[in-house]
Amino acid sequence: MDSMAALQILIYTILGTIIGGILSMVPALHIFNVSGIALLIWFRWPFLMPEVALPAFFMAMLVAWANINTIPSMFIGAPDEAAVFVVLPGQKYMLQGRGYEASILTGVGSLGAIVMMVLLTPFLYYTLPFIKNIRSQNLAWIMLLFIIYMLMSEWPKGSGMGKTVWERFTWAWANLISGLTTFALSAFLGFIILNRTMVPLDMSFQGIMPVFVGLFAVAGIIQNLVSHQAVPPQHESKSIDVDYRLLGKGIFAGTIGGGLASIIPAVTGGIGGIIAGAATGQRDDRIFVISQGVSKTIYYVGAFLLFFVPTLMLSRGGMTIILKPLFTPYTNQEYFMILSVIMISGALSFLMMFPLTRWTIRLITHVDYHIILWIALAIVFVIVYGLTGWMGMFLMGVSTGIGLIPAFYHSRKSNCMAVLLVWMVLSQGGHGPAILKFFRLD
Amino acid sequence: MKGLTHFLSGVALGSFIPAAVRMANSTGENSYILALGGLFGIMPDTLDFKVGQFFSGADYDVDADPNRLDPQKMAEQIGRAMDDAWETGRYVKIQLYPIRISVDLWRQYVVKFDGEKNEIVVIINEIVNTSQASYVGSAPKTNRVGRCRVKGKMLETHGKPSVVDIMSGPQFGFIKKGGVVEVEFLPWHRTWSHSFVLGFILSAAVWLIASLIAGWDKGWLYGLVSFLGYSIHITEDLTGHMGGSLLWPFQKDRTNGLCLFKASAAHANFSVDYLAVTVLLFNLNRFAPKPFFTLGTWEYLLYVIAIPLIIYGLIGKFFGEKKDVDKKEGEISAEKALASQQQSSNEEMLYDAEDAVVGDVQR
Repeated sequence: MDSMAALQILIYTILGTIIGGILSMVPALHIFNVSGIALLIWFRWPFLMPEVALPAFFMAMLVAWANINTIPSMFIGAPDEAAVFVVLPGQKYMLQGRGYEASILTGVGSLGAIVMMVLLTPFLYYTLPFIKNIRSQNLAWIMLLFIIYMLMSEWPKGSGMGKTVWERFTWAWANLISGLTTFALSAFLGFIILNRTMVPLDMSFQGIMPVFVGLFAVAGIIQNLVSHQAVPPQHESKSIDVDYRLLGKGIFAGTIGGGLASIIPAVTGGIGGIIAGAATGQRDDRIFVISQGVSKTIYYVGAFLLFFVPTLMLSRGGMTIILKPLFTPYTNQEYFMILSVIMISGALSFLMMFPLTRWTIRLITHVDYHIILWIALAIVFVIVYGLTGWMGMFLMGVSTGIGLIPAFYHSRKSNCMAVLLVWMVLSQGGHGPAILKFFRLD
Repeated sequence: MKGLTHFLSGVALGSFIPAAVRMANSTGENSYILALGGLFGIMPDTLDFKVGQFFSGADYDVDADPNRLDPQKMAEQIGRAMDDAWETGRYVKIQLYPIRISVDLWRQYVVKFDGEKNEIVVIINEIVNTSQASYVGSAPKTNRVGRCRVKGKMLETHGKPSVVDIMSGPQFGFIKKGGVVEVEFLPWHRTWSHSFVLGFILSAAVWLIASLIAGWDKGWLYGLVSFLGYSIHITEDLTGHMGGSLLWPFQKDRTNGLCLFKASAAHANFSVDYLAVTVLLFNLNRFAPKPFFTLGTWEYLLYVIAIPLIIYGLIGKFFGEKKDVDKKEGEISAEKALASQQQSSNEEMLYDAEDAVVGDVQR
């Protein structure tokens, strides 16, 4: 690589970080949607960016997004599918006036994730290829394990209120039934949207976007709108309440969670993080928040990084799907180049988190929180309508209805991931055609 | 042990059956058979928490009025139930209910069975929302702690206070055994559901159904994987304090566990999880039609299992927490309330003592 190319890569890394960081602040705008549009722009005006800088630019945007998108997730309650679990502890911190600290904790987690990616390079090169091969031959039932665990480990919220067996049973099962309903409806929605293109053909790569926005972001915003929860004054602390033990535990759990999510299809960073949290027995909220930051970064960035490992070349994640037709890495040099991009972009986006979090806190404490939520909702509508038209809006409406069930019955939001998981398990197991025939979707 | 540990152990144990691994492989039948190990690995707790607990009726209820909080009365209600067990010798169960304030707000309280002082302590904590986030400063300023001394000597086996806040509260069972009243936490847990006999019956049902669908030559494998998953759960639970009714319905008493570690012990659970995943990978590889690596059993045991676990153990030993951090926020808040009450009590005693001395001098 000559010095000119290296300079171009550096410039576009910085540019990608800044653009990605700013766009991350827009509620419900997913980086994969932005990347798809950015690629369309590049096709039309290729002079805007040299081809050699293409992977660096997209990776930088992804790193910045994985870091900074936590801010709208946490403060406005408009998460994506990977950040959905950080909302509750984030709001808990906000109620205690410590929203700033929570945001920075996830940023620290993202930095930890980048350190882990560097340290795990030998593992990615020499061990992961074996695991990938074993996984590939057993994918159907391994994905089914995630479904079983998600469903079986959702307990009733206690033994229920009421004096009779039936009263207590129905009270306690309300959340379980809502969880199962969410799961079943999401799975059915997945059968339809994964087998029918319901958005305009030129935007077919955005087909699943309105569904995810509805399930997670719009449902989250509506939940906050009706909760009438006042935001207490937020303290901008000079330091964070965490020692190296907590940091180590958070990074350890998050790495396992993000690692699982980055190699198992349809498993998100949030689900991976929850499972890793259970495996490592974490109870402290700070560990949870850090681990979710780690998990999210490894889920998005790590999955894309795997594409650059020459001994592996694992195609996982939306960014790989977008860039694969244009670019295929073969050398160690490309791997270490992209690792450098991750480190530079990670450091820059971490620094960006401080002013952006401060700015968001000032906004939510000085402007009526409900007005901000309404504006966020309007932005979401504009984005979804602009990209996918009325059909996308309809899909978003349906999925919002499903996403609101767990919000109001206190069941797990992760049940919404059945939208991808169930179809993938069935199609991997060879039952796809039969299912499509049964529902007359063939 | 934790649900995930049972789940992973169940899958790992099923992978020791070569025929099941070959059936699960996509180059074979692409069967979901190994997932049954996980399903049955978590099944005993599912039966308890999703079904069994609702059928365990209580003799006494603690259902406090949110507008008239009286921790003393609550402690006395629990004490009455315990005295009932002591005096009559019958098995007495008490259900603690949460204190609901509004749709999303609950009053948290903590119940502690203090074996040293032989008393029940109830501490009223902060208001929490349904996400269990507490509202700072919402704990009662006065009348926060209630205590009740019981007649019989109490034996508390759970080992930590119970925090009651959202949705529902725990049930306790009191039974006179020898010269003490034993406090059983969740008397409905690990009884009939944690029985090898029930595991066998459920697995037989799986065997029957699978045989009808997949044929009699393969159906028994589904039953076997299910039974192994169910059995590993019961066996692993024996490592904790609470055992199980291993041969229910032939033996109904809940045996005590081996007390090797707490069910929630993070390091023990993670070590077993790691062991389960690595063993699973080894079995999936060695029984695959075409293995991807050829590391021998002993080499794998040493390099992939033993050495990483030893490193993990050493890191935990030298860099891990030195004190018990496995405490809920509510427990910490309750401890502070008790410490504060103790301090006030000490100051009062000191004042009384000083007053007595001054009084003596004056006299």
